[in-house]
Amino acid sequence: MYEVRFHGRGGQGAVMAAQALAEAAVIEDKYAIAFPFFGAERRGAPVLAFTRIHDQKIYSRTQVYTPDCVVVLDDTLLDTVDITHGIKENGIAVINSTKKPEEIELGRKIRTAAVEATSIALELLKAPITNTAILGAFSRATGIVGIDSVEKAIMSRFGEKLGEVAGRKNAGAARMAYDRTETGMSSGGKEHAIRKQWLPEYRELPVGGVLGARTTDAGLIGPGSFIENKTGEWATFRPVRDRNRCTMCLACWFDCPEGCIIRIDNGKDLRTDYGYCKGCGICANECPVDAITMMRL
Amino acid sequence: MKKVITGDHSVAYGAKLARAEVVAAYPITPQTLIVEHIAEFVSDGEMDAKFMPMESEHSVMSATIAAQAAGARTFTATASQGLAFMHEMLYVAAPLRLPIVMVNVNRTIAYPVGIWCEYNDSMAERDSGWLQVYIENNQEALDMVIQGYMIAEDRRVLLPVMPCMDGFVLSHTVEPVELPAQEDVDVFLPGYEPVYSLDPDNPAVAGSFMPPEYIMEMRRQTMDAVEASKKVIPEVGKKFASRFGRDYGGLVEEIGTEGADVVLMTMGTVTSTAREVIAEFRGRVGLVKLRFYRPFPSDEIRDLGSRFRAIGVFDRSLSYTGGGPVFEEVKAALYGYSDIPVINHLAGLGGRDVTAQEIRKMCELTLRAADGERVSRVNWHATRGVPV
Repeated sequence: MYEVRFHGRGGQGAVMAAQALAEAAVIEDKYAIAFPFFGAERRGAPVLAFTRIHDQKIYSRTQVYTPDCVVVLDDTLLDTVDITHGIKENGIAVINSTKKPEEIELGRKIRTAAVEATSIALELLKAPITNTAILGAFSRATGIVGIDSVEKAIMSRFGEKLGEVAGRKNAGAARMAYDRTETGMSSGGKEHAIRKQWLPEYRELPVGGVLGARTTDAGLIGPGSFIENKTGEWATFRPVRDRNRCTMCLACWFDCPEGCIIRIDNGKDLRTDYGYCKGCGICANECPVDAITMMRL
Repeated sequence: MKKVITGDHSVAYGAKLARAEVVAAYPITPQTLIVEHIAEFVSDGEMDAKFMPMESEHSVMSATIAAQAAGARTFTATASQGLAFMHEMLYVAAPLRLPIVMVNVNRTIAYPVGIWCEYNDSMAERDSGWLQVYIENNQEALDMVIQGYMIAEDRRVLLPVMPCMDGFVLSHTVEPVELPAQEDVDVFLPGYEPVYSLDPDNPAVAGSFMPPEYIMEMRRQTMDAVEASKKVIPEVGKKFASRFGRDYGGLVEEIGTEGADVVLMTMGTVTSTAREVIAEFRGRVGLVKLRFYRPFPSDEIRDLGSRFRAIGVFDRSLSYTGGGPVFEEVKAALYGYSDIPVINHLAGLGGRDVTAQEIRKMCELTLRAADGERVSRVNWHATRGVPV
């Protein structure tokens, strides 16, 4: 049995990646299952997905706690999630990163594969959706499924949903990642500051589970929790406004779904709160004078 | 003051005497008279409450939850399909620990469409975390609305309470009811002091999303509250009795059980008729009135199992396990404690009148089972084509 845990953020396609990996394994006459575990159901929230691959029918329905491989679609997760948790002795981490394996700090030395999946996705798909590229890296780093099967699985799952052209592009992203993946050992590096979880015994839960303003720890969200949860930390792009072009029409201020564009100086100027900006690009798209450019982070 | 009034009117007086502050309402037979009387009290200036006619029962329970969470003492009433329409909101009220009191006037849930008494409406909500007490007469209806707040608001409990009363047999039947004086009720039941209340100056989130890491613990919290109510209910009953002179017992009431061979367990108004019928058996048959169905009185039932040779269990709804839900739970409570015969008596479904003759038959069958005779475990009384 080979077990994979995917770490991604809502919207990055971790679940689709886990499913396509299962399909690739089935193409190679193995048995596989894939399933998600969602936290908060919204774009950008940390998401887990799992794939199990075996020579025979799989009965286990629990989550994967001792993975052979962890796949990380977004390296900003490394700051808040211990992605190596429970990984087997000879396990491997496959990480979307601009760094070389030796430069990636996982808090321990383990076999690590790195690939610039975001750049590949932006080049081929014109969107920072890295779930297909990362599967190419997985194939290269582990050999558990061949790259041909990965391409077929992507064509089947993504092609069906998005059309043949998109399917072929995504398969191409996997192939490109396969060719560019580098394998080595991670740096032990510093211990990551892992967000602590509040897990009280039942008698310590507030009556009715009612949360006051200060109970804003991970998992349970009280009022004002956004003060601590900087939801802009996983952005790939950041809007930059050209003051000389801007006419202060306020279209961006009105259309920003996160309320990140703030009027300052008695309404004479604007400021963008990057702490909560997801880099969605709606402001740049809506700007009638093209004063906003989306810059890669 | 003594008044000859319907059960619905009596309940309305109960809500008024308990000084309910918010009443969201939607009419449904046979409950409508309750909220109509309350609307009259409010419009006549006799009752200082916000009366809110809503567009559905779902909205009634939503508004009631919100008002209670904002710190108001709330009351409402419903029946049958109305209760079913509240279903998802009932499951919000209990874990939020909101001490709402809502009377359910038992009426059969369609299909077949009927307006008469069957318990399949409230029995279907047995796992919602609400406490349920089944009412025998119009006086108890009024008294249990007042006691209901006392139980619900106790800091050890903090759960919603649902007094359930037989549609038409109580709701539309007049009988003498002693109305307690407002001053006495005020002393017995002080104003509501919430453990938490929603306040814009001191924000809190009630009813939030919770991942699986918390929900086992939340369920256990609610379970503990239901268990704690087993202690609080008899305490409140005694306190009420010492002030108003009416003692209904705790979770169950025993009638003529001393020296009896067997007991018949009944709920609601059938208990009243059975009080007269058991006299014919000259002490051989005792009567047990199951008052609270939630919390379920497992300890009391185990005690019965050790004292009597058989238990007959009346059910006014069907679980499609073959028997009724009370029967199934009585057997479960006795498991590992007693192996006396437990005989189910299904009667009065859809509001069919439960006659003295049927109750007599229930007693006879239970006695025969105690004597070792082979008696059917589930008996459909007065059902054409089904031999008893």
